Amino acid sequence: MATDLSSVANQRVVDTLAARLRRRQVVGSRETALETVLVLRQVISKARFSNIDQLVEIIRSVGRKLVEAQPKEHTVGNTVRKVLHHIREEYHTASKGTAVVSTSKDTLSIAKFVLQGQPRKQNVPQKTTLNESHDMLKENDADDPDAFARTLKPVLMEAIQDVLDELETVHDNISKNAKDHIHSDEIILTIGKSSTVEAFLKAAAPYRKYTVIVADTAPSYGGHDMAQSLSSAGISTVLVPDSSIYALMSRINKVMIGAHAILANGGMFAITGSLLVATAARAHSTPVVVCAGQFKLTPQWNLYHEYGALDFADPSSVLGFEEGNLVDKVDVVNPFYDYVRPELIDAFITNDGDHPPSSVYRLIKEAYDDEDYEL
Amino acid sequence: MSATATITMSALPSKSTIKLAPAQSHAEASSSQAQNQPPKSQKQMTKTERREQQERQRAAKAATKAAGPQPSGSNQNSAQVKKGAPPAASTSASVKKGGKGPDGKPTKDTKETTSDDSARGLRIFSHFGLPKPPGPSKGDIHPAIIRLGLQFSEFKIVGANARCISTLTAFKTVIQDYVTPPNNTLSRHLLTHLSPQITHLVSARPMSVTMGNAIRELKLEISGSDIDLPEQDAKNLLCQKIDDYISERITIADQVIQETAGTKIKDGDVILTYARSSVVEQVLVGAWDDGKQFSVVVVDSRPMLEGKKLLSVLSAMGIPCTYLLLPSIGSVITEVSTVLVGAHSLHSNGAVFSRAGTALVAMMAKQHSVPVVVCCETYKFAETIQLDSFTKNELAPAGDIFSSFPLTRSKDTLTLNKQLNLEILNPLYDLTPPSSITAVVTEVGVIPPSSISSIPLALGRTTL
Repeated sequence: MATDLSSVANQRVVDTLAARLRRRQVVGSRETALETVLVLRQVISKARFSNIDQLVEIIRSVGRKLVEAQPKEHTVGNTVRKVLHHIREEYHTASKGTAVVSTSKDTLSIAKFVLQGQPRKQNVPQKTTLNESHDMLKENDADDPDAFARTLKPVLMEAIQDVLDELETVHDNISKNAKDHIHSDEIILTIGKSSTVEAFLKAAAPYRKYTVIVADTAPSYGGHDMAQSLSSAGISTVLVPDSSIYALMSRINKVMIGAHAILANGGMFAITGSLLVATAARAHSTPVVVCAGQFKLTPQWNLYHEYGALDFADPSSVLGFEEGNLVDKVDVVNPFYDYVRPELIDAFITNDGDHPPSSVYRLIKEAYDDEDYEL
Repeated sequence: MSATATITMSALPSKSTIKLAPAQSHAEASSSQAQNQPPKSQKQMTKTERREQQERQRAAKAATKAAGPQPSGSNQNSAQVKKGAPPAASTSASVKKGGKGPDGKPTKDTKETTSDDSARGLRIFSHFGLPKPPGPSKGDIHPAIIRLGLQFSEFKIVGANARCISTLTAFKTVIQDYVTPPNNTLSRHLLTHLSPQITHLVSARPMSVTMGNAIRELKLEISGSDIDLPEQDAKNLLCQKIDDYISERITIADQVIQETAGTKIKDGDVILTYARSSVVEQVLVGAWDDGKQFSVVVVDSRPMLEGKKLLSVLSAMGIPCTYLLLPSIGSVITEVSTVLVGAHSLHSNGAVFSRAGTALVAMMAKQHSVPVVVCCETYKFAETIQLDSFTKNELAPAGDIFSSFPLTRSKDTLTLNKQLNLEILNPLYDLTPPSSITAVVTEVGVIPPSSISSIPLALGRTTL
């Protein structure tokens, strides 16, 4: 229920982002997440609401609009869910204080345990400002409809700033323990251009001497940019075409790839070619490590197993118009992403620690609230 | 007492000689100086002379290790060093002054160490070296062979069958133009005449197994030719034998394979093939001509992007085709009914050596329970065993000679050349393990990969 006066401005901001998403002018998990957070921050700062449900509904409607504009960019929905999760947390802390923790301890049942996941996030540090406003959190106040919003907004802004900070420091956090994952004289295989993997490898470079083999994932050829960037950082790099992945796999110690979105079952969507690499690695028992931020965790499943995410790119990079007489006689397929099963992945390195694919469901439970899975 | 004294004395110069060793590699100048002095025992030598002897020994060791990379110009560097100054100072002197030789000498030394660091990258394929354009021909090379070598090195003729047939055809010309010199027999001299021609071809591009097998047969025929035959008759006989070889082992074999493999294709099938195999092309064209209705998925990949040629042939005939690049294969493999690939050579352990990328295709197909059928003539059988794709492979030349990058991406953004810390490798072949292959179709039958080693028996040879 967006309130009328400020909704015009809000909608413009939201519509701009929705249009850019639809036209694919903003592409990439991290960029879309950052843009979404900024839009949400603007929406919330201008929003008028008298109780928590109204606020949640405002954010949800914004989220729904953005996700509809570009359902293939899962991080948009993830960010909205994360913001909602934080908001609810702040609200609970503000209105009930420490009572929340005691209630969870009182009724310990298996159902509660499974539903609430690990209780570690419940211990939110008490903010001193809230102790004062504890009595003043009035909901649905008829005289002063904005009182609730006014008292809660600073807290919400902080919460959103947390989300923003997390997004901005994703690469640093993931690369923190980079040197512990790579040993000397190792040969690592990577494909495409993942900024997360790039940051990870560059972080380990001063401490370890190793080699990186980059496959120039056709047809996006992101591997070329990756190879340039890594070699200019002083890492000895070898650029090979995708056709030699199996040939080289017996010499490779580790495969390190990025993800587009991590799905609820522990599988992931990643750039086309990741399935080949992961399968070849499995055939040689080489560990496959995925570097991804937590904002990529998506509480969804892959229903379309054949074409990863049913997302296709421009076929002219596969068969261009220079092959004039072939263009209309031939079907050209150019999917963006591959779906990689959880059995092919050995570890996810996230900014919140390292996890095997089997515990992804638990991470999702902690990061998002149940009621937000369907925006 | 004196022994320990010498040990402590020698400990000192050894530290300083470590600094010297990279700066000098040829000990010749130093050794020539040493020869001017009569040999003394260690006790009699002064400190500097002992030091010099240590240096000479170390330099000799370094010279034997690093023989070759440093030209003799650095002799003058070491000559400067010997001028009696303490070794540390002289090291810096030789490094700074640059020696009497050409200027780049000391910088070359330091550059060598850094290039060692950057080239530590991959020495997996270093035993190939990159292909060089064929140098000026030494000796009498027939113009047909020169032309062929040029076509090979520019990849105008690709594919195991094509290369073999063109080689044999060129050799026919060579044999017809050959004149036995007096006091020589054709059967012996022709072989020596052919050797430099073969070497020239190998320098253009490493020999394929098919070429190797064919040439071996040819040499056998030549050495077995009758001495009493007049020369022209002998030459005609050899050319006839060559024609028979091509016809039996390649042309007719291909027809048999086409019929056999054609029976594996049914109406409504989706056939997947990788890159361009002449045999698979014949199979598909033959099956379409027989009236079978099927569709083809052509998978292609850098560096050669040969699939486009196959695509134009098939689509010109009206076969419904889908074209995609290798990384996208995971998306279509579930719809495929059979995978047909060609081979460069077959090995005794059942492995198939084929265009780079075939192993990936076969692996994915096996994962999804799609049968992988290799179409291959028996003359491609190599009696060696190959376990990995490194020991015998070929690297495509650097740069973009196949124009394999899409026009949608500007060439500036692509990395086409080697740089510091960056190496570009384009292996052309890879090895598909026997576990990924379902069957091999040859002209002697359809055999499982484990029976590949019995192909010579099937051909009637009693010994391998």
